[in-house]
Amino acid sequence: MSAWSELVDYLTVADHWWGRRGIATRIGDHVQISVAATAAAVALAVPPALWLGHIRRGGAVATAAVNVGRAVPSFAIVALALPISLRYGFGLGFWPTLVALVALALPPIFTNTYAGVAGIDRAVTDAARGMGMRGHEVLWRVEAPNALPLLLTGVRTSAVQVVATATLGAFVGFGGLGAFINEGFRQQDDGKQLTGAVLVAVLAIATELLFGVGQRLLTPWTNRKGPR
Amino acid sequence: MTTRPARWLLAMLLPLAIIAAGCGSDDDDSASDTTAASGEGGGACSEATAPDDAPAITIGAQDFGESAILAEIYRQCLDAAGYDVSIQEVGGFRDLELAAFDGGDINLAPEYAASMLEALNDQAGEATADAQETADKLKGYLSDLGLVALTPSEAVDTNALVVTKETADKLDLTSLSDLADHPELVLGGPADCETNAFCLPGLKSVYGVDLSAGFTPLEPAAVAPALDAGEIDVALLFSTDSRIVTNDYVLLEDDKGMLAADNVLPVLTTELADVEGLSDLLDAISESLTTSGLTELNRRFDVDVEDADKIAESHLTDAGLL
Repeated sequence: MSAWSELVDYLTVADHWWGRRGIATRIGDHVQISVAATAAAVALAVPPALWLGHIRRGGAVATAAVNVGRAVPSFAIVALALPISLRYGFGLGFWPTLVALVALALPPIFTNTYAGVAGIDRAVTDAARGMGMRGHEVLWRVEAPNALPLLLTGVRTSAVQVVATATLGAFVGFGGLGAFINEGFRQQDDGKQLTGAVLVAVLAIATELLFGVGQRLLTPWTNRKGPR
Repeated sequence: MTTRPARWLLAMLLPLAIIAAGCGSDDDDSASDTTAASGEGGGACSEATAPDDAPAITIGAQDFGESAILAEIYRQCLDAAGYDVSIQEVGGFRDLELAAFDGGDINLAPEYAASMLEALNDQAGEATADAQETADKLKGYLSDLGLVALTPSEAVDTNALVVTKETADKLDLTSLSDLADHPELVLGGPADCETNAFCLPGLKSVYGVDLSAGFTPLEPAAVAPALDAGEIDVALLFSTDSRIVTNDYVLLEDDKGMLAADNVLPVLTTELADVEGLSDLLDAISESLTTSGLTELNRRFDVDVEDADKIAESHLTDAGLL
């Protein structure tokens, strides 16, 4: 039987869609942890990155520190977080996976936000100050809007990586779409495995498209073609 | 005043330092010739001599401790006899191992009679509690693949369904039959439990126990910790897992005989089986293995966190094989 027909066979069984370990529940779990991880990473990375960009200092050190998240494999973080999570009563699944995903999502958001602010032409911020703006006004009214396109690109990169990497949660009992891949692999069920792989790919592409639309709406000035 | 180069150096070293602090040194049980060569005690392995034209041997080890230890025992014995031998990791389930045999990546592996038989016959339930009978049926399937199984050892490693002492006392559980009244219990184990004749399907057909509603698939290494933390109620472990004893788990008795003869035995290619003297060495190893002995070797791996090569070496020495 071809891979395609095994996939279709798996997807067309109603029982595979519903219930605690069904496709619908697992898509929901997958989206939930991806949104949570990306939102947490934004909350953790954007304020310090904006501030360090504003004062134009410490960026190299901070970027290096944040990049540890990219250097340590997510799988290792999941594995390390599991015993800690079990010991302190956070349980299997969600929390150990979330820790790894946040670590993965931090670097692109942090570096892009920092670069977005620190890369603004001095002439622009000097002009703002020359108009009488105070430091926080320069940050909120000049630097933040100028950094927004890069910041959003960082969030978009992180979100897509998070959606793809959330599959690792299957190793510690998290019921996202990775569970189909892990179970399909162990049970030698190609249809199940492909279901997980294809749905994760669809979800990642959907995330990419959603952010594309979001970026056009939030930063309409970047849509203009040609010289301004 | 920090100079720029110093700052950059700090920036580059900081992540390295954090990584170094985070990862304890965890030596791979890499094949070290010194350990194998040290045991010149005059046992069967070191006294044997490999034929000059003997092919290179690659042993397939699966992703759990016992498989690593058994592979290392085979390796050190054959190495002492002068064979060109190495170990190849083949992941966590039998399809990969069979593919590795098929592709010539491995030509010897420690296996389990009943589980391998059921893997080859699509879980048809042919395995029985008789080791020799099960091994003979296994040989029939293996011959189609150009493989053979040698005499099964006494050491049996079946699936073991365990609960904590607390749960056992509270719900009055002693056997698998007792699970019938508690379909709400959460069973945790490797994902293949769902399709394994000696796990969920067996519980259903032999005991009428359906735990599929709460089944939680987990990596093998995460199962016992999840049971300790109360995240799962029933854990699927191996019967030679020392934590059943050390953590005071209650092993649910297989009162209706669902489990079959999962005796440890070597599976190898017919080419290797024809090498003069090789099968005798593997048989000698099988004779040295018992269920309680294997449980103790696993305890040293799981609880004492010893390396597989050290454990294997001391087993061979104690058994008078090196």
